[in-house]
Amino acid sequence: MGQLLDVELRTYEQNRDQLLGTAEGKFALIRHNHVIGIYDSKMDAIAEGYRQFGNVPFLVKQILKVETPLNFMSNLLRI
Amino acid sequence: MPSFTTHVSNLQAIGPVVEQLQIAVGSAVEGALRKAGVSIPSPVLTTAMIDTGATVSVVRQGLPVQLGLNPVGVAHINTPSSTNVACYEYLVRFVFPNNVVVEATVLEAPLQGQHIQCLIGRDVLAHGVFVYIGYGNLFSLSF
Repeated sequence: MGQLLDVELRTYEQNRDQLLGTAEGKFALIRHNHVIGIYDSKMDAIAEGYRQFGNVPFLVKQILKVETPLNFMSNLLRI
Repeated sequence: MPSFTTHVSNLQAIGPVVEQLQIAVGSAVEGALRKAGVSIPSPVLTTAMIDTGATVSVVRQGLPVQLGLNPVGVAHINTPSSTNVACYEYLVRFVFPNNVVVEATVLEAPLQGQHIQCLIGRDVLAHGVFVYIGYGNLFSLSF
C-alpha cells in the first residue's frame, strides 16, 4: 500500500479519543487534517465525500475502540 | 427479486465463478465525475469467484487505477499466510449477469493467477440470497 491517506489516518488518530467519546460506532469522513463530519452509515459518508470533494482520496473510517482485521480463508489472495 | 443463475461444468472443482461480472465506478463517483465534466470510465469485465470465506469483496491490484478510482478507506486483513495487512478500499458497482446491480466497497489486493480478478465476499452476500445446488452444478444469487 502506498502513502495515500497517511495524513487522514494521522488525523483520525489525533482525534480518536474525542470521536470515541461522542460518536462510537459511527463513520467519520476525513480529508487532509480535517474531520469533515460524522455519519450513521459508511455509504452516506462516502457519498458526502464525493459530493464535497469529487473524485479525490478521502478517508471514511468507522469509530471503534477495538479494531479487528477482516478475515480471508481463500488462498487466492497472494499476501 | 433481481437474480441470476449460473451453471458451472464442475462446480465442486471450479467453484461458484461468475464469468461476466462488470465492475463499474460507484454511483457517487459517477455523479462527481459528471459534475466535473469528466468522462465516466468504461466498466471492466472480470471473472469473479463468490467466496463465503471472504469477509468483504476484493478486486485485483491495478483494477481501481483502470477505473480511475481513488481510495475512500483503509482496512486491515488477515489471510492464510499474512496478518494485519493494510489495503485500500474503493467504491464500485458490480453489474452481475441479468443486469443485477450491487453497489459496494471493495479492497484492492493481489490475487493468485490470472483467471480470477474479483472475490465477491460476505458484504455483498449480506444483501441477498446465495443458493448453491451442488448436485446440479448450479448456483444462483438474488437481491
